[in-house]
Amino acid sequence: MTEHELKTKAEITWCKGCGNFGIFTAIRNAINKLEERGIKREKFVMTAGIGCHAKIHDYLNISGLYSLHGRDAATAQGMKIANPNLKVIDFSGDGNGLGEGLAHTLFAAKRNQDFTMILHNNSVYALTTGQFSPLTEQGWDGPSTPEGSFEPPFNAISLIIEAGATFVARSFAGKVDHLTEVMIRAIEHEGFSFIEVLQPAVPYHEWSEYNKRIEFLESEPKSKEEALQLARNSHRFTLGVFYEGKRQVYHKALYGDHNPVLNSLSRNERFKKIRKILKE
Amino acid sequence: MENDVFTFLVGGKAGEGVKKAGSVAAHIFSRMGRYVFEMDDYMSLIRGGHNFSVVSTSTRWISSHYMQANLVVNFDKRSSQTHKDDIAENGIIVFNSDEEEDVDGIGIPLSSEADKYPMKKLMYGVGAVAILASAIGFKKIEMNDIIKNEYPYGIEDNINFANTIYDLVNEECDNKFPLEKGDKERVIITGNESISLGAVAGGLNTYYGYPMTPASTILHFLAKNAKNFGIAVVHAESELAVINMAIGSTFSGAKSMVGTSGGGFALMTEGFSLAGMTEAPVLVVLSQRSGPATGVPTYTEQADLPFALTAGHGDFLRIIASPGTVEEAYYLASEMLALVWKFQTPGILLTEKHLSESSMTVDIKAEDASWAEPKMYTGDNFKRYLNTEDGISPMLFPPSKEVIKWDSYEHDEYGITTENAEQIRIMHEKRGKKIGALINYLKSKKTVNVTPGDNSLNIFTYGSTYMSVLEALKYGDLKPRVIQPIYLNPLPIWELEQFKDQENIVVEQNLTGQFTALLREKVGLEFKKTIKKYDGRPFDPIELHNQLKEVVK
Repeated sequence: MTEHELKTKAEITWCKGCGNFGIFTAIRNAINKLEERGIKREKFVMTAGIGCHAKIHDYLNISGLYSLHGRDAATAQGMKIANPNLKVIDFSGDGNGLGEGLAHTLFAAKRNQDFTMILHNNSVYALTTGQFSPLTEQGWDGPSTPEGSFEPPFNAISLIIEAGATFVARSFAGKVDHLTEVMIRAIEHEGFSFIEVLQPAVPYHEWSEYNKRIEFLESEPKSKEEALQLARNSHRFTLGVFYEGKRQVYHKALYGDHNPVLNSLSRNERFKKIRKILKE
Repeated sequence: MENDVFTFLVGGKAGEGVKKAGSVAAHIFSRMGRYVFEMDDYMSLIRGGHNFSVVSTSTRWISSHYMQANLVVNFDKRSSQTHKDDIAENGIIVFNSDEEEDVDGIGIPLSSEADKYPMKKLMYGVGAVAILASAIGFKKIEMNDIIKNEYPYGIEDNINFANTIYDLVNEECDNKFPLEKGDKERVIITGNESISLGAVAGGLNTYYGYPMTPASTILHFLAKNAKNFGIAVVHAESELAVINMAIGSTFSGAKSMVGTSGGGFALMTEGFSLAGMTEAPVLVVLSQRSGPATGVPTYTEQADLPFALTAGHGDFLRIIASPGTVEEAYYLASEMLALVWKFQTPGILLTEKHLSESSMTVDIKAEDASWAEPKMYTGDNFKRYLNTEDGISPMLFPPSKEVIKWDSYEHDEYGITTENAEQIRIMHEKRGKKIGALINYLKSKKTVNVTPGDNSLNIFTYGSTYMSVLEALKYGDLKPRVIQPIYLNPLPIWELEQFKDQENIVVEQNLTGQFTALLREKVGLEFKKTIKKYDGRPFDPIELHNQLKEVVK
């Protein structure tokens, strides 16, 4: 395990065969390729929620803040607003980012906050023993829904496009090359980029279920309307970039080219300004 | 009413310029070199209801408004009824004769005069200023200058209206309350402005907030001045977002503050605990209002002390301090920002609506503020949670060649999650060491304000109630010692123990005597009595003086 592999020394505790391994490989590939394209390794920072997805925080050897369940999108925004030079990657889960943290995710999209959210969609609360999640298909027989879940799932792709994200894609942990390419595009995108990554949790799913149903978008939609249409009508195993658009990012609207940490005013400059206000 | 204080009270509906008239009065007095204290009482509504502003002024330092006013201006009947007893001996009441008749005082047709102008009742405040100008013996030309500066929209109408009102009352009011000039002009600021400026002086880079009275004006003030100060100010979707954004920003090296009241802080406690675990230096301004739940949004109380002391699940150090005056709020906000960064733990600046939203004249020396600066790491093999002698781990911020891991799970020195028993114990103790280090540090700092008196009685109080107590003692001949702990956690026991076995009482604003209980438990002090108030209103100095006199007797 060399540093180049972007792995820490932590023991990996995902189940054997877990879809998270594919995401872990893809993000390391993506970061290495982005480094080759000129983004310095130290500029990447990460955050994660709580759940199986989030264990990646201990394994991926870049700086970051292991956040609370559902709060990762808020953490990511705080990191970015303080120092917009950082490339912020937020690893989230379906329960984490669309359940407990739904508001933060939607508002990140609404604001077009410039960071990348990678939503590990295993369609289940795996770490807490298999309850249904906001993306679980109806009828799930879990410990909290013994007669089958009766809530229909969110459509993450159309929901996030509607909320205002400017890069929205779906990929699959079993297609590491596709996932790597989508991650690179998402991280390079200026604005809120969202990737729903289909990710089997082996105690609950079979890889074969996924492999059977996976299909790719024939072509990328040309407009937001077309993207929404396609997101609503295509089935939930359709992979590809659904929407890529351009809109002012939040931190630039807030303070232009300023950087609150790097361009922080000196103590004396602050005193001068305070004295002026106290004189008025 | 003590004769060195003059008080002006103006009351009416929201939208009639009540607060503005109070603020203009305050500035008239401060320009005369006098000290001022202004309290605004307003309801949680946009238009209508009853609002009033009380401005007390003196040539000496004054730390409370007085409810017994020398000059009362009522825009409507409701105001007259509300304030019928709020009149000092030989005071003057001016009422709106278009609204009511047969009232003691000077009736003027305020509504019909204002109706002659397009702005109508928006001009009532201008009328109140004209009445004040006459009563304190200002010439019309002096008054017109003030109107011009303070009411720049529709100057001509405002001046004409002011002159009409001045003429209507001048026969009876003329120079009834001539005011002596004071030593120098001072700036008037609110507690929330003072807190905001203090945080900026201390190094603030990012501020996050969600609107909630009485903390909202921090968000407004900083948002308005964000570009000037080079800071980022964000109105987020919830207090949950607010605290987590602030913690994310501290990770990037930003000095971050958030502000809220009890209900919003309840939502923040989850993130507050995260700050404890990740050792994120984040400062929360908790401005108390009347609770529980939604409570009485625009009124004051001191009922969140135990909540603040134990906020957030788990064992971690919470630094909590409360400013006694608007001036102290400036220095303390900067000191608290510096402390949370020095000790890498969350802190609470605990205050109340009464301090947050009252205005007073201050003498602030900008450069006497503290400066937040973390201990930085040098070398390689960085460990975010390096277990040092005092528990404080030197910091690095991204971008860095070193990998910096902050972790909400229990973790090892590198910030990697652990469930190892030995490691859990070590990290608890590592964070725990900061408590002793902080106490040692605070022993060299001013942690308690003691206002000397005779040895008959000690009055313990905290927060803005300190101002009420000091003003109550200006009235009459009681000379007790007043003791105001600035720090509430850690409570400066080393300073307070000397008062054991003395005659002690407490003055605080809640039902159950929360502050009394804290002093009893932590310091072992015994109290003869706790004077309490929990009707949402701050103490009136005369009312409090009378209560104190009862105790001494």
